Amino acid sequence: MPALLTTNRRMFWRIIRRLLGANRGRLFVILLALGAGAAVSAALLNLQVDAKRRLTKEFRALGANIVVAPRGTSASPDSPKVIGQPLFDQLPAENEASPVTKAEFLYGIVNVVPFDPKEKDAKSHDSARAVVAGFAIAVGSNYEGRGLEKIIPSTIVEAQNLDSLNVRTCEIGQNLASELHLHTGAGLTLKYGDRGAFCDVSAIRSFGGPEDSQVFLELPAVQALLNLPGRISLIQASVPGTPESVDRYIAALAKIVPDADVHGIRQFTEAEAKIYSRISGVLTATVAIVLLLTGLCVMAAMTNVAMERRNDVGLMKAIGGASRRVLRLFLVEAALLGLAGGLFGAAAGIALSIGLGRAVFGVAARPRLIVYPVSVVLTIIVAIAGAFPLRRLTSIRPASVFRGEA
Amino acid sequence: MFLRLVADSVTRRPRQKLLTTAALALGMAVATAALSVSLDVGDRLAREFRSLGANLLVTPQADSLPLEIGGVDYRPVNSGAYLPESDLPKLKTIFWRNNIVAFAPILEVSADFGVRGKQPADFAARGHVQLIGTWAAHSLPLSDGTVFMTGVGKTNPWWKVEGRWFAEDVNECVLGTTLSHRIDLGIGDKLYLHVPDPKKTVQLFTACSITGILSTGAGEDEAVLMSLAAVQQLGQEPAQYRRLYVSALTKPEDDFGRRDPRTMTPADLERWSCSPYVSSIAYSIKQVLPGADVRVIRRVAEGEGRILSSVRMLLWLVTFAALLAAALAVGASSAASVIERRTEIGLMKALGAGSGTVGFLLAAEQLLLAFVGGGLGYALGILLAHVVGEKIFGVAPEPSLMVLVVTIGLAAGVTLLGSAVPLRRASRYEPAPILRGE
Repeated sequence: MPALLTTNRRMFWRIIRRLLGANRGRLFVILLALGAGAAVSAALLNLQVDAKRRLTKEFRALGANIVVAPRGTSASPDSPKVIGQPLFDQLPAENEASPVTKAEFLYGIVNVVPFDPKEKDAKSHDSARAVVAGFAIAVGSNYEGRGLEKIIPSTIVEAQNLDSLNVRTCEIGQNLASELHLHTGAGLTLKYGDRGAFCDVSAIRSFGGPEDSQVFLELPAVQALLNLPGRISLIQASVPGTPESVDRYIAALAKIVPDADVHGIRQFTEAEAKIYSRISGVLTATVAIVLLLTGLCVMAAMTNVAMERRNDVGLMKAIGGASRRVLRLFLVEAALLGLAGGLFGAAAGIALSIGLGRAVFGVAARPRLIVYPVSVVLTIIVAIAGAFPLRRLTSIRPASVFRGEA
Repeated sequence: MFLRLVADSVTRRPRQKLLTTAALALGMAVATAALSVSLDVGDRLAREFRSLGANLLVTPQADSLPLEIGGVDYRPVNSGAYLPESDLPKLKTIFWRNNIVAFAPILEVSADFGVRGKQPADFAARGHVQLIGTWAAHSLPLSDGTVFMTGVGKTNPWWKVEGRWFAEDVNECVLGTTLSHRIDLGIGDKLYLHVPDPKKTVQLFTACSITGILSTGAGEDEAVLMSLAAVQQLGQEPAQYRRLYVSALTKPEDDFGRRDPRTMTPADLERWSCSPYVSSIAYSIKQVLPGADVRVIRRVAEGEGRILSSVRMLLWLVTFAALLAAALAVGASSAASVIERRTEIGLMKALGAGSGTVGFLLAAEQLLLAFVGGGLGYALGILLAHVVGEKIFGVAPEPSLMVLVVTIGLAAGVTLLGSAVPLRRASRYEPAPILRGE
C-alpha cells in the first residue's frame, strides 16, 4: 500500500507540473492577473495600515486635542486657579509609540508698556492691559524652547532672529502688536503690581483667537512676575493616535491626575473621529473592491481553463480517476498559481506602497511585515475561489467528451 | 467579409465573449466607481471638515483688547465696541456667498441670576453668570428674497444640546451642563436673569424657561445661552453683536494664497479673489462689513488645509492603484482571449490572410468588446459608486460624463494593449504546426 500511495503522489505532482507547463501563455496571463491583484491589494493594505496611522499624525496639524485644567473656574483674574507644575511631567510622553507634544501655560493680566531701544528716555507710550502667557513646550520627554505652533497653530506675521543678542525674547499676537504699534525687535516691559519683566519681541503671530492679544513668554519669567512659582494654569497636549486611543489616553490621564480636570477639546476630537472614519471607509472599500475584482478576473480565466480541459478530464475519468481527485488536482494547481502570484505580487505591491507613501506624506510608508503573508494568503484564497468554475468539470461524462459532443 | 467575420466571431462563441466582456465590465465598473468617488470626494471631504467649526472670526475693529483667559473675558463691563446686526445678510451677497456654509453672531453680557426656592418671595440661590446671546436656528431673510437658515449648531457642530435649543421669540434659554449641575436646574425649570444697570436702582428679573442643557467641553458649559434678540434686550444693546463666527468652504492655501493682497498686481489680485482661499473670503467679508476686522482662525484653517491636501492626494493615489488593477486584470483577460484563438489565426493565415489583416480583425473585435464592456461597466460602476458614496458620505456622487469618456477610453486602450503582446506573437505563428495541433 505505501508504495502505491507514493506512486500516486508522484503521479499527482507530475500531472500538476504538466498542467502548469501545458500552456505557457495562459499560465502567464493567470499569473499576471493574480500578481497584479496581489500587488495592488498588498500596496493598498500596507498603505491603509500606514495611512491611518499617518492620518492621525496629520491631524496633529490641528494642534492640541486635550486640556488639563484646574477644576472650576476662577471668579477674578487676581486669584487665578492654578495647578502644580509637577503635573506636567506626569503626562505620559508617548501614545501609540509616537511622542506626545505638550505645553504648560500660566496666564495673568499685566500692563504691557513698550519701549523703543533707540529712545533713551522712556517717553509716554501707549500701554495696554493684556494677558501674558508663560509657556514651556515638551515633545515626548524633551523640553523645547520654541514650537508654540505645534500646540496652537498660527501663521507668522513678522519674525526676527534675536538669538545672537542674548536677550529674553517673547512672541506677541497680531492684535496686541497693532494696538501698540509694535514690530519685531521692540522691547516690552510687563508690569504686574510692583514687579516687572522685560523682553524683546522676536515674532508677531496671527492665531485668529484670544491668543491674538496675548504676550507669550518663557514660563519661569512669568511665574516670577506673577509670584506663582511652580504653578501653572493649564496644560494643553497634542496626542497622536486613533480617536479611540486618544480617548484611552484621556481616561488613563484622568486617573493619574485626579485633582485636575482632563478633557478632550471636543471641537477637534469629534471632527477628527468623523473625518478619520470617512477616510478609512474609503480606503477599506477600495481594498475590498480591488480584491473582489482580482477574484473575478481569475474566475474568468479559470472558466476558460475549464473549457479547454474537458478532454483531459474526460480521459482521466475514463481511466478511473475519481471526481474528487480530479477536482483536487485543479484546486492544487490554482493554489500553486495563487502562491506564486501572491509571492511576487505582494513583494511588488509593498515596494509600490513605499513609493506611494513617499508621494503622499513625504515619508516612505514603513513596510508592515504582517501585510506580506496576509496578501499572499488572500491571493491564494482568491485563486481557489476563482477556480470555482472548475467544479463543473466533475459533472463531465467521459463518453460524451470522446464522442466530441459539446 | 470583415464585418461578417467579426460578427461571426461574436455569435459563434458567445460564452467566451461573455466571459471576456464580463471581466472587462467588472474592471471598468471598478474604475468608474473609483473615479467618480474620487472626483466627488474632494468636495465632500471639504464639507466634512466643516465639522471643525467656524474658520473665520469677525470682531469690531475698534474693540479694546480682550482679556480672555480660559474662555472668560475679564474686561470691565461695557468696554469695547459692537457691530450692527443689520449688516449680516450682506454676508450672503459676497462673491463667495455659496461657500459660506453658516454663520452665527455672539453677544455676551455678564448677568445676575436667581433660582426660585420654595418660598415665592425670594430667590433660593443667586449668582453671576455669563449670558451668551446667539442664533440657534435662525432664518435670515436675504436681499434676493430667499431665506438662509443658520445658527450656532452649524458653526459649532460639536455643541451637543440635550433637550432642544431655545425658540427665538419667547423667553427660553439653554443652560451649560456644569452650571446646570451646580445650581441643580434642569429642562422645564425656570431661571431668573437680570443684567445690572448702574442707572437703575430697581432690579427686575426676567424669567426664562430652560429648554435644553448644552455641553461643549469648553467655557460655554458654565454659561446661559439665549436668543440674540433676548440678550440684546436684556443688555440694552439693540441690534448689535460682538463676535461673529463664519464657517466657509475653502481651498487649501498655497504659497500664492498666502500672499498679501495689498502687494499684488491687479491681475494677481483678481486671480487671488477668484480662488476660495480662506484669506480671500475673509477679504471679501471685510468689504461688506464696515468697521469689522475679519480674522482667519488659523488653528482650524491651517490644520484643515494641510490634512485636506494630503488626504486628497492619498485618495487620488488609491484611485490610481484601483485603475491600475482594473487595467491589468482587463489586459490579462483580453490577452487570454487572443491566446486561445491560435488555431483560428493559423487557419486564417493558411488561407492567405496577412499578419496585418489578422491583427486588425482581432483588434476590431476587442474594441467592440471594449465598448460593450466599458458601457456596461460604467453603468455598474455608477451603481457601485452610488452604494459606496451613500455608505461612506451619506450622499451619492453625481454621475459625470467625463468619467464615461475616461472609462470607455481606458477600456479601449487597455484591451488593445492587452491583446497587443499575444497578437504580435500570433503574427509570427507558422500556420502549419498550429493546424497540425502542435
